[in-house]
Amino acid sequence: MTTTDIAPDSVAVTSEQNQTFVERLVTNTSNSSIGKSWIFSGCIYFLLSTVLGFLLDIVRFDSDSYLIFSNVDKFFQFWSLHRTSIVLLAVVPMIIGLAMCVVPPQIGANSIIFPRAAAFGFWVWFLGSGITVFGFLADGGFGSPELDSQREAVALTLVGLLLVIAGICVSVICLLTTIISGRCMGMNLRRIPVFSWTIMVSGTLWILTLPVLAANSIIAYVDLRGRSAIYFGSEDVIWDQISWVFTHPQIYVFVLPLIGIAYDIVPVAVKVRQKLYNHDLVLIFSSLFGIIGFGAYAQPFFDTPGTPVREEALYVLTAFLAVPLALLLFGGLFETLRMGSKNLTRHPPAPLILSLLSIFLLISGAVVGALRAIEPFELLSTSSNTAQMKLTIGAGLVAIIAAMLWWGGLIVGKTAKQGFGLISGILITAGSLLSGLADSVNGFLGLDDFTTVGFLQEVSAEQIVKILIAFSFIGSVLILGGAVALILVELLRFKNGPVSELDPWEGHTLEWTDEIVMVESERPLLDEVGKTGT
Amino acid sequence: MLSTGFKFWFGLCLLMVVSAVFAGYTTGGTETGPISLGWKGGVGNHVVYTLLMIGAGSMAVMGIVSQAFRDSDLEAASELLGIEDLPQAQNEVGNSWWPVFAALGLSILAVGLVVNSAVFIIGIIIVLVIGFEWTITNWSEKATADPRLNSELRERLMRPIEIPIIGTLGIGVVVLAVSRILLSSSVTGAVWVATIVGIVIFGTAFFISKRPSISRGVIQSILFLGISGILIAGVISAVVGERDFHHKGSHHADKSHVDEKE
Repeated sequence: MTTTDIAPDSVAVTSEQNQTFVERLVTNTSNSSIGKSWIFSGCIYFLLSTVLGFLLDIVRFDSDSYLIFSNVDKFFQFWSLHRTSIVLLAVVPMIIGLAMCVVPPQIGANSIIFPRAAAFGFWVWFLGSGITVFGFLADGGFGSPELDSQREAVALTLVGLLLVIAGICVSVICLLTTIISGRCMGMNLRRIPVFSWTIMVSGTLWILTLPVLAANSIIAYVDLRGRSAIYFGSEDVIWDQISWVFTHPQIYVFVLPLIGIAYDIVPVAVKVRQKLYNHDLVLIFSSLFGIIGFGAYAQPFFDTPGTPVREEALYVLTAFLAVPLALLLFGGLFETLRMGSKNLTRHPPAPLILSLLSIFLLISGAVVGALRAIEPFELLSTSSNTAQMKLTIGAGLVAIIAAMLWWGGLIVGKTAKQGFGLISGILITAGSLLSGLADSVNGFLGLDDFTTVGFLQEVSAEQIVKILIAFSFIGSVLILGGAVALILVELLRFKNGPVSELDPWEGHTLEWTDEIVMVESERPLLDEVGKTGT
Repeated sequence: MLSTGFKFWFGLCLLMVVSAVFAGYTTGGTETGPISLGWKGGVGNHVVYTLLMIGAGSMAVMGIVSQAFRDSDLEAASELLGIEDLPQAQNEVGNSWWPVFAALGLSILAVGLVVNSAVFIIGIIIVLVIGFEWTITNWSEKATADPRLNSELRERLMRPIEIPIIGTLGIGVVVLAVSRILLSSSVTGAVWVATIVGIVIFGTAFFISKRPSISRGVIQSILFLGISGILIAGVISAVVGERDFHHKGSHHADKSHVDEKE
């Protein structure tokens, strides 16, 4: 019979021992190292994005302070930078980092497929993110309403965005290939853990939609580089062409893995086995949630006269479908919680609480998205856009913190302070809720999505709008506090964290073991316990 | 039996066909046009449809190739090689500089696209060179079952190419940098620079030759600092520009000579 042998030691191992720390950091191709690089970079961008969000909300709160950004055009540039960075430079990278570290062991693969391509993906994204940010700082960004930006810097921002997209796509291809063809014997697609499944679904949708964003950028770039922009490259319309990525329905696709995070954490935390039909339904519903999040078609900039895409049946239907799907997914978690309620202690694990909060935020975001789609409310261009984005991205961030507390020991080898992590997650939840609800109500009162200084001065007479903007500002302060707390938690983990156990949660899935286990169900480690009785 | 690779490529092929048909019907396609490769729409829509169909065809070819060569099939590989124990499907790879250099080359290319065509060309050259090196490394790692032999194989193949090219490029860059320094200095200054640089190089070489036990790291550091200094000075000199030259026969030159004599 043919057997699979352990690979002989690579010659490279000897030379690697002579490498300095920086050399190892730059040349490493192991999935855990690449994953940590993604997570670390994502955390830094998350902190910078929240600082920027805080500054932007200061201007919304007190319009006279717009001079922080020197003029309205700069304010717009940083406003668009905030949206871009929180999604493409913070949330998506942190999810990719988690997936790089967790997915291969979770499906029984010994490493990521195409490890060098995975490293290449990270470095392309990293350098591209630097070029993008530099483009914004050099008075470029995605143009400005008054055509006052530096055209070369705008072009630089666009090529930076292309590199960011390329880096994400290359890394996602490595992850998808690992999930599809790197699974161990017995780990069929029906049995793969929900986190890996949602990475597969969301990764596929990223691959299908981000190239469309790249195409938008290329069209704008080509026109911008001409002698004078004809249409697409005109600096006052570039943002309009790419803004579909940061709103309904596309925004759901970026945070889809939060469903997988919650479904991998909750059953283990309450020590029950989900029923198989429940597991299958989760796979189906999470896929449906991903499909309704496909947003590359919903580009209002390319509307044909008389048929705005936001009034088309598909757009409205997906907005409404998101709510029952999110509720069904929450219902599944609730059933699991109910089954394991007797196993819950007085102080449930922080990741369990944060997972539930993240699903709650997702439902809130879906409800705001559904309200936006109701035509008589006329919310489509109002601050309800901001509200939906804050709630949905907030859901993703809280889930990432839950995942860091859950798998962090596995990734870093050290345990974090669960209490501090919980505080960080609760601050972000509270901030997202407060800010999201305030912006949502302000949407009903007619507050514009991009709040120019002139507009702010007009509405400042309406006291209720002003009060709600103040609530939104407090929400931003709480989110900033949460981001700082997250960084502190991770720094403390690195510096003083105790060495983590191999399986601190008594997990059910393969990432928690280093032994060869027969995979006969979606929870192989629980099968082992059943067999041995331990 | 269908190989894993075939299933993967064929799955992608199906996904692209479905996406193309979906794109066709949702952008104005009617009747059987989108499913019979006969659909034509607006320019952008048609391009998307065509690209997706071409992608699907490419994936199908990859799948057939994968199946023809029995990709990842343990039994087939075992029979072909005549051995019972096979290495793992996914061998661990060592650390590599190629990903970061390739990303750097791609970034230089992208920045050059905006800033300067010369930078763009440098980016293309870097990407091509790294692509070639990366390909050869990957090929050599699978040449035989012995990693040590594979490494030696790569060295024997690539070193005769790498050393002359890198050496020529290195010497060329240093000569160019030194020439910029000399051309930007005054006539007397250039003599002084050449004398001092020559003495420093000669003195350093003499110092190293007198101490055979000096570590490799120290020599590398000295060389790195020296070359970096020359390159930085060369770039600054290039930015400053060349000094004014007085050409024989020109009115300006004659006047300058007169001025100098005066």
